[in-house]
Amino acid sequence: MKDSFERRYKREPVIRKDERIIEDIQKVKTNLINLIKNNPNRPATMAYYDEIILGDKRENELKNLKNKVIGTFCYFVPEELIWGVGCIPVRLCSGFFETITPAEEVLPRDICPLIRSTFGCKVEGVGYFNLCSLIVLPTTCDGKKKLGEYISDYLPVLTLNLPNIKTYDMAKEMWNKEIKVLKSKLEEFSGTKITRKNLEYWIKLFQKRSKLFRSIYELRKTNPGIISHRDFLMMVQSSFYDDINRWIEKTQVLYDELVEKSKQKNSFNGEKLLITGAPIIFPNFKILNVIEDLGALVVVDELCSGTQRLWDYAEPDEWTMEGMLESIATRYLLPSTCPCFTTSYDRIDKLLTMVDEFKVDGVIYHDLRLCQLFDMERNLVTKILKDKNIPVLTIHTEYSQEDTEQIKTRIEAFLEMIRSKA
Amino acid sequence: MIKAGIDIGAKNIKIVIMKDSEILAKGVFLSGIDIKVFINEIFNKVLKDANLSKENISQIIVTGVGTDLIPFATNKISIVSAIAKTANFYFPESKMVIDVGAEETRIVKCNKGAVLDFALNDKCAAGAGLFLEAISRALEVSLEEMGRLSLKTENTVPINTQCVIFAESEVVSLIHRKTPKEDIARSVYDSMASRVYSLASKLGIEQNTVVVGGVAKDIGFLDSLKRKLGVNLLVPDNPEFAGAIGACL
Repeated sequence: MKDSFERRYKREPVIRKDERIIEDIQKVKTNLINLIKNNPNRPATMAYYDEIILGDKRENELKNLKNKVIGTFCYFVPEELIWGVGCIPVRLCSGFFETITPAEEVLPRDICPLIRSTFGCKVEGVGYFNLCSLIVLPTTCDGKKKLGEYISDYLPVLTLNLPNIKTYDMAKEMWNKEIKVLKSKLEEFSGTKITRKNLEYWIKLFQKRSKLFRSIYELRKTNPGIISHRDFLMMVQSSFYDDINRWIEKTQVLYDELVEKSKQKNSFNGEKLLITGAPIIFPNFKILNVIEDLGALVVVDELCSGTQRLWDYAEPDEWTMEGMLESIATRYLLPSTCPCFTTSYDRIDKLLTMVDEFKVDGVIYHDLRLCQLFDMERNLVTKILKDKNIPVLTIHTEYSQEDTEQIKTRIEAFLEMIRSKA
Repeated sequence: MIKAGIDIGAKNIKIVIMKDSEILAKGVFLSGIDIKVFINEIFNKVLKDANLSKENISQIIVTGVGTDLIPFATNKISIVSAIAKTANFYFPESKMVIDVGAEETRIVKCNKGAVLDFALNDKCAAGAGLFLEAISRALEVSLEEMGRLSLKTENTVPINTQCVIFAESEVVSLIHRKTPKEDIARSVYDSMASRVYSLASKLGIEQNTVVVGGVAKDIGFLDSLKRKLGVNLLVPDNPEFAGAIGACL
């Protein structure tokens, strides 16, 4: 937490409270949900996710709970350990455009919109960030590496030292130790020890969650029209915030509903797309709105804010504390295809598998301006896909809505191109 | 069959009325701020030029940006597909079209009118028509004159910035340094051609490349582009109407 340097040199945290921004965010959220609700084919169970994503109710619930809330970022924070010490994890990565400008009062402008937007939430006191009493921040991209220094003006930050090359033996050893250190720091923070039995419970619950998620993912292979990708991402992103038991319970209901739906004939015959690249986080659904408006559908994603988040689970060889911690370390490192690691080869393999399994017609590469990592990886990824005759379209954009028309021009042309090839 | 094509560009709206493959009437109008208000007026004007009324038109196809703004449109087509069709219409052997508009540069790889791949420039207008307008303002010459000037020299000076705003001030300082206008003009076209080149080379440059869009009328730009790409450039009649014509095809 705070080291002696931070105690010696304190920087005053910037706090702004602009009612208009809070109102705007509320409006953006409700408008988008209303837009998504327009779909007559929408699963009825989605109402639960709408409520979680809108936030108010869950935020109030968290305020009234005794459990401390711990904010996380990215893919790499083992949530089993946070639940294990009796705290509640919420993933803070934000998709609000409105909080970007307030963040620029402190942060440089030339960092990615996701980081500015998230930090702006703290500056403006918006959403879940305000409920956190600790942040666990992995050192992923350059922006996140330094973000902790800024957040520590407001509240304690635990930095997780993520290796740059995940396949090195030394990296694995280091990461295993890092997870053990995290466990003891979380125990110290919460005053609760994680017992072997307790951790076993959480690992098994997370396994259940992943398996449930996978079964929904599988259903879309044969019948993609049963759920739109906006709804799919809302389902995934509700798990950023909600109680895991309730999420599993409601998602089981969604699964049952989708199974019923998939018994009907496949009604979707538009273009099937895969989306990859920088995280797409509610309400930054601009690209998905355009795609679905034009009659195509994203049927699968490779986003860390989507499929990647829920796909994997820890699988201990031995249910000892040591074995469980190691399996958790592995689960939160190896399966990630984040471009912050030095090679993108496993990401490309995964994309090719997805293209094949979902029989997609094209790939959309979402590039957030100032995310150099995804931008740098793009050349090789798109080359390999194009060499295999898979059409790829890069959308280079930010959080603002201004370029919606430009994006539409590109996606329209892309869909026409796919159609003319067929 | 009589069709009307409307291409809504960043700067101008282009309208053509075509009977089969013959252009009956055409018009260019400034896009202005509120298209909805005057689209009827300009459309009727073109109809009048063709001695037709709306009832004679079997299809009204819109392309470009903001296609939803035209209430009486019967069909839509993306600008990328539209220019590919135009290229095929005028030059059936063409494999690539370069469309340089006011704010957007589009490069389409195509075969017999079908789009194979495409690339569009980013949001900013560097390397597009507005860039040239800004420079001609700074040089205090007309766009046509600037093209002619550029052909009179073989000397260039480096233009480093790509941003329209900064390039304009860079040109102003070149003028202050007494750099001949001819050299500046040629350098500006060269820097623009390099932008187009880097976009096109991502797709792979093709031998028979069609150039359309308002900027295709600029002899200075065509000269620079030809040198940079090293291929034969084909320019159809009325290149600024490529989108609208393609919509009718």
